[in-house]
Amino acid sequence: MQLKRVSSVLLVSALAFSVTACSGNGNNAQNEPAATKAAAESTNAGGNASATNAAGNVDETGWDGSKYVEPITLTTVKGIGTNYFFKNGETMENNVMQSYMKDNLGIDVKYDWIVTDTNDAYKTKLRLMLSSGEKMPDVITYRGDMETVNMLIDSGQFMDIGDLFDKYAGDNYKKGVELNAYTWLPVTRDGQRMALPVLDYAYNDDMLLWLRQDWMDKLGLQPPKTLADFEAIMDAFVNKDPDGNGKKDTLGIATGFKNTFLGWMGDISWLFGDYGTLPGQWNKSADGTLTYGSIDPGAKQALATLKTWMDKGYISKDSGLKDENGAAELFTKGQAGALVGRNWMPDWPFGDLLNNVPGAKYKGYPLPAGPDGKIGAQSGNPSVNGWMLINKDAKNPEALLRYYNFFFDNWANPEKGSEFENGFAEGYDWAKLPDGTITKDPQKYPDLFPDYADRTHLVEPIYYTLTFEGARQPSLYADTMSKLANGEAPVTPYEIQSAAIRKPENIEAMKIVLEQKDIRMKNYFQGPLTETMKQKNELLNKLINQTYSKIIYGQSPIDEFDTMVDNWKKSGGDQITKEVNDWYNSASSK
Amino acid sequence: MGTVGKVTGIGTPVRRKGIKGFLRRTWPLHVMLLPAVVLQFIFGYLPLGGLVIAFKDYKPYDGIWGSKWVGLDHFKFMFEYPDSKQVILNTTLIAGLKIIFNIVVPFCFALLLNEVRRNSVKRTVQTLVYLPYFISWVFLGGILNDMLSTDGIINMLLHNWFGLDPILFLGSGNWFRFIVVLTDVWQQFGFGTIVYLAALAGVNPSLYEAAEVDGANRWRQTLSITIPSLAPIVIVVGTLAIGNIMNAGFDQIFNLYNPLVYDKGDIIDTFVYRTGILNGQYSFGTAVGIFKSIVGFVLIVIGYRVAYKLADYKIF
Repeated sequence: MQLKRVSSVLLVSALAFSVTACSGNGNNAQNEPAATKAAAESTNAGGNASATNAAGNVDETGWDGSKYVEPITLTTVKGIGTNYFFKNGETMENNVMQSYMKDNLGIDVKYDWIVTDTNDAYKTKLRLMLSSGEKMPDVITYRGDMETVNMLIDSGQFMDIGDLFDKYAGDNYKKGVELNAYTWLPVTRDGQRMALPVLDYAYNDDMLLWLRQDWMDKLGLQPPKTLADFEAIMDAFVNKDPDGNGKKDTLGIATGFKNTFLGWMGDISWLFGDYGTLPGQWNKSADGTLTYGSIDPGAKQALATLKTWMDKGYISKDSGLKDENGAAELFTKGQAGALVGRNWMPDWPFGDLLNNVPGAKYKGYPLPAGPDGKIGAQSGNPSVNGWMLINKDAKNPEALLRYYNFFFDNWANPEKGSEFENGFAEGYDWAKLPDGTITKDPQKYPDLFPDYADRTHLVEPIYYTLTFEGARQPSLYADTMSKLANGEAPVTPYEIQSAAIRKPENIEAMKIVLEQKDIRMKNYFQGPLTETMKQKNELLNKLINQTYSKIIYGQSPIDEFDTMVDNWKKSGGDQITKEVNDWYNSASSK
Repeated sequence: MGTVGKVTGIGTPVRRKGIKGFLRRTWPLHVMLLPAVVLQFIFGYLPLGGLVIAFKDYKPYDGIWGSKWVGLDHFKFMFEYPDSKQVILNTTLIAGLKIIFNIVVPFCFALLLNEVRRNSVKRTVQTLVYLPYFISWVFLGGILNDMLSTDGIINMLLHNWFGLDPILFLGSGNWFRFIVVLTDVWQQFGFGTIVYLAALAGVNPSLYEAAEVDGANRWRQTLSITIPSLAPIVIVVGTLAIGNIMNAGFDQIFNLYNPLVYDKGDIIDTFVYRTGILNGQYSFGTAVGIFKSIVGFVLIVIGYRVAYKLADYKIF
C-alpha cells in the first residue's frame, strides 16, 4: 500500500511532467530569431561593440568582453534528464557543448557528480549531499519543487546574488526577469536575493474560455461579454439540443472540482474572479495585505451562482467527483459546450473532441466579466522554471551570468543567418541537404548526422547547458503568436517554425490571452510553507472543499459559508494569515 | 506459544552431542534459511529504526539523527486534531463491516458452491469470482466512477426499470459507505471462497456417509458436519482479520472519495496521505502508523485469547 501511494504520487508527477513537456516541446528546439527585430539588432550591435572594444579591455575577472583570457573552471553537479541524447563517444563531460564553451567563452564546466535523473535521483542526491555536509560545487541548478530550493538556500552555503545580477546580467536576461514583478519573491531572504531564476516562456498557463463554435453557429449565439451573456449561452446549450440528437443530454460548461477550485483545466476559479477573488490562493486586498481567496465574501456569491448552475443543469451533476482530466473529458466527448483552459489545448486534449465528434469546431474567447464588471483569472506560470545557486566560495561567481548571457544574446532568438540560426551544431541537431534546405531528421539522412547512437531522437546539445535549454526569452512565445494572429508574415526562424506547427485556434487563443492579461490575479504567497500551514493546511483545505461542494450540491445552505469562514479563522487560518503577511513584508522589503 | 521449544523433532537427540554435533548435522538447513533471515532482517527489521522519527520533528535536511526530539507531541496532536474522532470512527466502521461481510459472504458462497455436483461448473464459477481480486483499485475506481455517475449505467437501469431519479452514489455519505463495503466484498470474496472450499475438501467423507446411514438429510448434514468442520478456519481468518480494524483500504477509498463524502468516508490512511505525504509531515504520518499497528496488535492478541478461551482453539 505504501508502495502504491508512492507510485501514485510518482505517476501524478510523471503526468504533470509530461504535460509540461508537451507544452514545452513545441516551443523549444528551435533557433529562433528576434521576436522584435529591433531589439535583437540593438543587442547584436551591443555585442559587436563590446567585442571590438575588448582587445585591450580585460576586466578584473579576466573577461575581455567576449571570453575569459585565461580559461576558468566552474564546478557543478548534474542530473541527466530523459531528453538528453548523446552521440557515440560523447558524454556529459565531453561533448560539443563543453568544448564550444571552453573554446569560445573560456568557461570549463566540471562535474563533481552526474546522475541519470529518473525517480528524482538528482533531487535525492542533492538532499543527501546537504544532509551529509559535503562541500558544494560552484553552481547548483535545480528545476523542481521549491522545498529543495529552500533547503539549499537555508544550508547557508550559497551567496546573495543580488549585486552579481545587477552588475553582470545582460539586458535580455534583465528584461525577462522584469516581465514579472515578483520573480524574486520565492528566493528572497531578508531582502537578499539568494538564487538566479531560469526563465521560461510566459503566459503559457493563462486561462481563456473555449466554446463549441459549431454549437454557437447552429443556435445563432453571440460571443459572451458578461456573465449574464454566458449564462444565456449555457442555457441554450442545455435546452436547445445543440448536438441534434433529440435528447436533453448536453451541458453548459465542463468543470470538475474534486481536488481543487483552482484547477489547471476545466477551471472554475474564473467565476470567483468575476466576483473579485480567486479561491485557493493569496490575493492582495485593497489595504495591501494578503488575504486568502477562499474565505472572501466574493466567494460566497460565486458559490451561490454555481449552485444555480448545478440546479439548472449547466454543470454536470458529477462535477464534484471529477478532477481536471475528468472535466476535460466532458468537453472532448462532445457533451459540454464550454471549457476554461489554456491556450495550447488545441494540441491536447482537443484532438479527442475532433475524433469523438466529427465536424466539431472550437474557438477561444475572452473570459466574460462579472455583474460588477469585475473579472479575474489565474496568472499561471510566473515565467520561472528552475533556480540557480552560486557557492559563497566560488572563484568566478560571475561566470554563470556570462554563460547565461551568451545564450540570451545568441541563442534565445537568433537572427537569420547567424551562427545558431538552424540549431546548435551541424550534424548534431541540424544538417543541410545538398539543395540547401535544412533537415532535422537523423533517421532519413544518416550520412548527414554521423555517429548517432539512437536515430529515433534528435541529439540536441542545447540541453547539455548549465541553464537547461540555453536561454528562453519569456515574452517570445506570446509575442510571436500574437504577431502571427495579427496576420504578419513570419520572418525569423522562430516565427517561421511557430507558424508551421501551431494550430490557428492556438495562435488566436494566445492573442486573446495577451489582450486580457490585465485580468491576471497573482498568488502573492510564494514562500516556503509556514509552521501553521504544515500543521493545519490539511484541516483547512478539507473544511473549505467540503463546505464548497456541499453548498453547490445543496446539501448545505449557502450561509454555511459564514460558519466555514469562522471555523477557518479559529482553526489556524488567522495565524496563517499573519505568517503569510509577515513573510510577504520581509520578502518584499528590499 | 510456550510449546514451541518442545515440538522440534531434531532437538532431543542432539542435546546429548552438544552444540557442535548439532551444527555439523544440520548446517545445510541453516544455510538454506540464511537468505530469508537476512532479507527479513534488512527489509523487515532495519527500517523499524526509522520509527524513531515519530518522536522527532523530522526535517529531511537535518536527517533522522539531526532532527529535534519532540517526545509524544505528534501523538498528542493526533488526538487533539478536530477531525480525528470522525476519521477513526469512519475507519473502524468501514473496516468492521468489511471484516464481517468478508467472512459471511465467502462462507455462504463456499457452502453453496460445495453443493454443486458438476465439477466443471464449480471450477468455472470459482475462477470467475476470483478474478476481480487481481484488478487494481486504480482501474476499478475509474470503472466504478463511470458506472455510478449520474448518467452512468446503474442510474440508467434504475431509471428505465423503476423510473428512479439519478442517485449521486459516490457523492452522498451513506451510499458511499454502502458502495465501499459492497465493492470490497465483491472484489475479495472469491479469495475467501477458495480458502473455505479447501477446508471443505479436508472434511472426512466417512462422516457424511455415517450421517446418511443415520438418515440425516442434506440440510442436517450441513448443520451438523460441514459448519462445525469449518469453525476452526473461520476463527483463524476472523482473528487475523481483527488486526485490520484500522485498515479500511486506502487504495479503494482514495480512488473513490471526494470532498462531498469526507465526513462519512475519510479514513485514517487517506487522512495520513493528505497530511503526511502532501504536506510533508513525515513524523506525524509515522506516529499515526505506529498507533495503527499498536491497536492492530493488541486486537489480534485479544482475539487470539478469546478464540482460545471460547473455542479452545490455538492458532499459533
